[in-house]
Amino acid sequence: MNKELEHNFIEELEKNQNIVHKVCRIYTNNQEAHNDLFQEITIQLWKAYPKFRGDSKFSTWMYRVGLNTAITLYRKRKRSIKTEEFDAFQYKLSSEPYDDTEEEQLKLLYKAVHQLNDIEKALVFLYLEDKNYKEISETIGISEVNARVKMNRVKNKLRTILNP
Amino acid sequence: MDELELLKKDWKKDEDSKYPKLSYNEIYKMILKKSSSIVKWIFIISLLEFAFWTLISLAFKGTEYNKRFESYHADNIMIPLMVIAYAILIYFFYRFYMNYRTISATDNAKVLMENILKTRRTVKQYVGFNLIFMAISAFIALGIQFDRDQEMISLIENASANGEVFKFYAITIIITIVFLGILIAIILGFYYLIYGILLKRLNGNYKELKKLEV
Repeated sequence: MNKELEHNFIEELEKNQNIVHKVCRIYTNNQEAHNDLFQEITIQLWKAYPKFRGDSKFSTWMYRVGLNTAITLYRKRKRSIKTEEFDAFQYKLSSEPYDDTEEEQLKLLYKAVHQLNDIEKALVFLYLEDKNYKEISETIGISEVNARVKMNRVKNKLRTILNP
Repeated sequence: MDELELLKKDWKKDEDSKYPKLSYNEIYKMILKKSSSIVKWIFIISLLEFAFWTLISLAFKGTEYNKRFESYHADNIMIPLMVIAYAILIYFFYRFYMNYRTISATDNAKVLMENILKTRRTVKQYVGFNLIFMAISAFIALGIQFDRDQEMISLIENASANGEVFKFYAITIIITIVFLGILIAIILGFYYLIYGILLKRLNGNYKELKKLEV
């Protein structure tokens, strides 16, 4: 029984692992931190899995546990992250060529997102993942109206960072 | 274009090639590892706190001071105090454990944070209770000593012969207060440090969410 549970879980996670990678991408700045957070989210998912009833999709449930881990549960194993590593670690931007200004703007945007606080990052992440405000409000635990208001503030904040 | 739309365009492109692909075995190895989550740390530290206060009361037994105290025959006061202390320990531990069990990573972010903070608050109340209890016990013990300790009684007699009995009481009580004050300050400072470090981020995020609700 336990083996079966384990097997199902690993298969599901293997299939949907991009969600976890994307949470890590929003919340971390270097490879080591990415792996560390990925590890912790995996453990939290596995610990919560017996309670996963299947009344929501596995992927929907992953968003919740993943974000909860990143925002609340996660504690870095290693404290020191050297600042030089920050810039060295960058995800490939899309292979399709952008024009120079757009590519430059994207780099700045990702940098700006990393300057947001944990809650703002969660909002941006869910927005990028095409979640509607109802889902966003349910995942974070604020009202839909407040989620909209906050989202607008975040957009403005990003705009100011980009066009000072 | 809206900044976020531009970001979204890039975010969604090449999703399958952009991220590392972990294999079944790599994920399997991960679930065997131990969590280092904040909840686990709070749990460990809380258990240590419960253990610390229990050990202190146990360590006190069999000391010289305790033996001397037994000679006062103050069991009718000390035994009820012990019973109260243990009853309250059990009560707090039960509440702590029940709170701990409600913590679930599947709740929404706000509820999860609230449940963690609630667990933490229970232990905080327990520590607060212990500090108050410690202070009250110290004064009861002092009262018993004034009344029944031979050495103390002869000191009081000496002092009253010199007409300084008030001064004697005042000094003894002030010394006790100062001593207790220092002890409590050290203990509180210690907690402040540990939890300040541990809960800084959680508190910050929780405040941020609360701010949105206003």
